[in-house]
Amino acid sequence: MIKYLLKRLFWMVPLLIGISLVSFLIMHLAPGDITTTEASFNPKASEESRQKLREIYNLDKPVIVQYGLWLKRMVTLDFGRSFASHQRPVFWQKKDEQGNIAKGMIQQALPITLLINVLSLILIIAIALPLGVISAVNQNRPPDRAITLFVFIGFAIPGFWLALMLMYWTGVVHDWLPISGLHSLGSEKMGWLGQIFDSLKHLALPVLISGLTGLAGISLFVRNGMLDVLHQDYITTARAKGLSENTVIYRHALRNALLPLITILGLSIPGLIGGSVIAESIFAIPGMGKLFYDAVLMRDFPVVMGILTIGSALTLVGNLLADVAYAWADPRVRRGVIQ
Amino acid sequence: MKHSLVIKTFSNPLAFAGFVIISIILLLALFAPYLAPYDPDAIDVKAILVSPSSMHLMGTDGLGRDVFSRMLLGARISLLVGIVAVGIATLIGVVLGAISGYYRGWVDVVIMRLVDVMLSIPTFFLILAVIAFLTPSIWNIMIVIGLTSWMGVTRLVRAEFLSLRGREFVMASQTLGAKDARLIFRHLLPNSLTPIIVSSVLGIASAVLIESGLSFLGLGVQAPQASWGNILTDGKEYIQFAWWLSLFPGLAILITVLGYNLLGEGLRDALDPRSSGNASNK
Repeated sequence: MIKYLLKRLFWMVPLLIGISLVSFLIMHLAPGDITTTEASFNPKASEESRQKLREIYNLDKPVIVQYGLWLKRMVTLDFGRSFASHQRPVFWQKKDEQGNIAKGMIQQALPITLLINVLSLILIIAIALPLGVISAVNQNRPPDRAITLFVFIGFAIPGFWLALMLMYWTGVVHDWLPISGLHSLGSEKMGWLGQIFDSLKHLALPVLISGLTGLAGISLFVRNGMLDVLHQDYITTARAKGLSENTVIYRHALRNALLPLITILGLSIPGLIGGSVIAESIFAIPGMGKLFYDAVLMRDFPVVMGILTIGSALTLVGNLLADVAYAWADPRVRRGVIQ
Repeated sequence: MKHSLVIKTFSNPLAFAGFVIISIILLLALFAPYLAPYDPDAIDVKAILVSPSSMHLMGTDGLGRDVFSRMLLGARISLLVGIVAVGIATLIGVVLGAISGYYRGWVDVVIMRLVDVMLSIPTFFLILAVIAFLTPSIWNIMIVIGLTSWMGVTRLVRAEFLSLRGREFVMASQTLGAKDARLIFRHLLPNSLTPIIVSSVLGIASAVLIESGLSFLGLGVQAPQASWGNILTDGKEYIQFAWWLSLFPGLAILITVLGYNLLGEGLRDALDPRSSGNASNK
């Protein structure tokens, strides 16, 4: 197991180098250099302050040196300070000259996005699993057809539109749920239980949206996985030795159909993190997505680059966790019998 | 072979429904300027936020523009962005996948690692980051979506090439002294065409979704040019007074994406011997 883990960790190195190259390329996409883009949005930026920016970003040095410095920033997770937002540190808290500690922007936003994504993953599994199993067991019969239709609509529905409609229905027509932010006004006066409940109410819609949009793919996946397994010889054997249908499906088939799901959940992480941009900006949730969106609008490049890198690193960690979980669950993978 | 694929696809009612939906939307988009009852950009201060009626089929927006006319013109934008973006992605994917699958060795390793790298950057973040450094315009959107969605096609074409290279007819041709170019363009590529088409059809669906999301966020197609996504931006602003501004563009996106997905999945099913076997088992 340790050997497997080390091998997987080693494979992450070329990926990280690749990510640093791609993000470095993106940074140099801007026509001219980033200081001219920055300046064009801020007419007051003098030649002097542009020069300062060039120095901060080492734009006066050769490209190779610039890349080396960028790589160093990535490795040390130092993404500098925001152009906007009172020059707050992008990633983690820092002390300023007076000794005041300024919290990092990603440091504050990341837990919120992680919480939303973990909750929506739980929602996805709780709904997609039974749907997929029902669909596979009733292959080509009405329940399967209905679920398939649901899956197709789920694939096609724009998440932000669903968000708008739910917002209209639950927030405007019925006033059931709060439609923006993470806390109600005056929530500080509630007890800690009240505060948690208040935040959960605020999180309900965003979690529902990102859960519903991720549901279709996973339930289709469970269905197809189940169908594959149900056609295997050992299932026929299980039926032949007279086991009840429930035992066959839940003890023999489902367990094996679930294995690849671990990988798929790992692979769905970048989609979930990326999808948080729309959900969070609609509901004004101060997570990574909203932070990223605001940074893009304000051309706050240090924040854009910081989130891009942290988001990619999270994806790699997610995939690593998924692979390790898979290897833990399936001894064949650990021993290298199957890929 | 091609002929039977078409018959097989269209005998699947869902795939046929997808084909009909897409045909209707393409026709509407093509003839949009003749079908639109009003000038889509004409501002009418006397008819602001009018609800749907026989005068304005889908009501009017905050500037008194006819939503139905804007929806028709928006269909052009959405489909154009979808098709061009997928064209770019498919071109990149086919070239890289072909090189990777044909030459193998270190080129293959490099290209496949590049695919892994691109897949580990959250797509929407990547697209937004690129747009942050460029200015949002319809051309930039197409290019950005194209440049960030070629990975699937690359893997697909590579896998096809790898499996085709081991087949007898390819080896026979190679033994007879066929050059690389002949093998690739005469044997490998034509035989990989159908899965490429399937993935392109499905790709258009996701490109339409991405474009509408970007335009909704104000980072895609820019006003006054109408797109389904940016009509929805208005819809969000007026959500308390004008439900029609949110409902119709959303439905249009839903139906279009559904159409492409149904057709794409229908084609895939018709291609996959295993799934058609299942269908005959019932």
